[in-house]
Amino acid sequence: MKLAVISCIHGNYEALNAVLSDIDAHKADQIYCLGDLVGYGPQPNAVVELVRSLDIPTCQGCWDEDIVEGLNACDCSYPSQLAEKRGHLAHEWTNQAIHPEVREYLASLPMTLRQDNLCFVHGSPNSQHEYLLPTMDGFAALERVLAAEADVLFCGHTHIPYLRELENGTLSVKVQQPGQSETQHQFTAPLKRIINAGSVGEPRHGRPNATYVLYDTDSTQVTLREVPYDYQKTCAAIIEQGLPPIFAWRLARGMEFAERAEDAGHVCER
Amino acid sequence: MPHLIAISGPSGSGKTTWISQFLKDQSTPQFYVCPGLGEISVDLARIGYRFPWVQVVTEAQLKAVLADLPEQATVYFEWGFHLDLGSPFLAGLGCERVAVLPPDLTESDWHTWADQVVVGNAVAAPANGRLPEIWCTPLTGQVFDPPSLDALLIELTGGAYGQVCRMKGIFEMPNGHAFYVDFVEGLPGMEYTELNIPPWLEGRPRRFSGIEVVGWELEREAIAQTLLDSCLSDAALTQYHQHYQALDPTVDSLEEALLV
Repeated sequence: MKLAVISCIHGNYEALNAVLSDIDAHKADQIYCLGDLVGYGPQPNAVVELVRSLDIPTCQGCWDEDIVEGLNACDCSYPSQLAEKRGHLAHEWTNQAIHPEVREYLASLPMTLRQDNLCFVHGSPNSQHEYLLPTMDGFAALERVLAAEADVLFCGHTHIPYLRELENGTLSVKVQQPGQSETQHQFTAPLKRIINAGSVGEPRHGRPNATYVLYDTDSTQVTLREVPYDYQKTCAAIIEQGLPPIFAWRLARGMEFAERAEDAGHVCER
Repeated sequence: MPHLIAISGPSGSGKTTWISQFLKDQSTPQFYVCPGLGEISVDLARIGYRFPWVQVVTEAQLKAVLADLPEQATVYFEWGFHLDLGSPFLAGLGCERVAVLPPDLTESDWHTWADQVVVGNAVAAPANGRLPEIWCTPLTGQVFDPPSLDALLIELTGGAYGQVCRMKGIFEMPNGHAFYVDFVEGLPGMEYTELNIPPWLEGRPRRFSGIEVVGWELEREAIAQTLLDSCLSDAALTQYHQHYQALDPTVDSLEEALLV
């Protein structure tokens, strides 16, 4: 079975359309979406309506959550004061633009999705706000996959696609109980994988192209796809909708609207 | 007799760098003048910070200083690209004329004007003779959130707010230090130099900082707004200062302090 996994569309309808055409051309049997349908981009309602109309199983992203529950992330979610101000502007705009039924739909999204030994999350199994970076400590990365009770963990949120293989992970635990001698336990985990789908609508890999992932459940083959699209149309829509023009400039350069926080492992205390 | 030298050339060609090599000499009185950018400018302040023995002369002081120059004095006039080479004031000074020019520029008004041509940075000559505009603003008292300043400078020099061929500035940081930042289109990277001045960790700095941007179709309002959005509030600045004051004053940076 061939799966297509998309993430972080951020209200970019043109990019989503191009990716869906590419998925169609590759004859994927099933699409999963890892959230962040809205935020920063100019077409949040159109994106949600398209995802809903195609009945794509979708989990909730951090931006989807913020639109439902209100912006309550702490300021350390942003790498800079400037990014925070821009993030707030984007949130206010999206909050005004979003239709009630779209907000209801975003509120109904689950945190995780599953299919056999596969788990789909936005950030990590712990939180939509946690970044699973490719450089994350191996032990912590393995813990996240084990916590999801999966062999393959699909995530997004970082906006940079990657495949990470955690081979033959071994955990050693020493237990010292009162009145008893210390005992050592070892657990061996088989091959686990983290697959980051990148971002459809807000790439951060230095090019404006959308990215997503194809996964073959039979061969376990992973294909990271990069799809060119008419990003100038999205840039024009950003300006037309009254969003900050700097969003268009950054989108055209694959720079993302507001880059991730410096301490990417940080999870906001709400 | 005092020695007067006027130095001109396109933006980014290396005029200040050429002058700086002579300002290191402390054996005779040295004066630096950079007219046309108001009472204080990034270059004036930077020369003053870098060479404290050099007398930087503002436009208001110029007449009096020229009337009373010591015999051994050397006066450097940095004559910006935007100033008229045929200025009666310049002609009346009777100074030596040096043009710092890019290697590819073989014919120009600077060649006609200069007594001596020095080969400088390989900056592009203005296309069709279309001179760029200059936008500058003082930032005295403002302290920047460092990652915001980074993002702003990347956007500014990358063309987000108009085509920028030159940008230089002095920026205050929350750890009390100040940096000189220099960008020249066509040269690799951006130069960051920490200024050798005492850290300012009590309130808002009362010393000059500012920015000068040279380019075409500059979106001045957007630049100004982004600069403001990148500056720290009073509360944030106080918090930073309390943090740095609590560190060992003999340790220069937070990173070093944490390693002690």
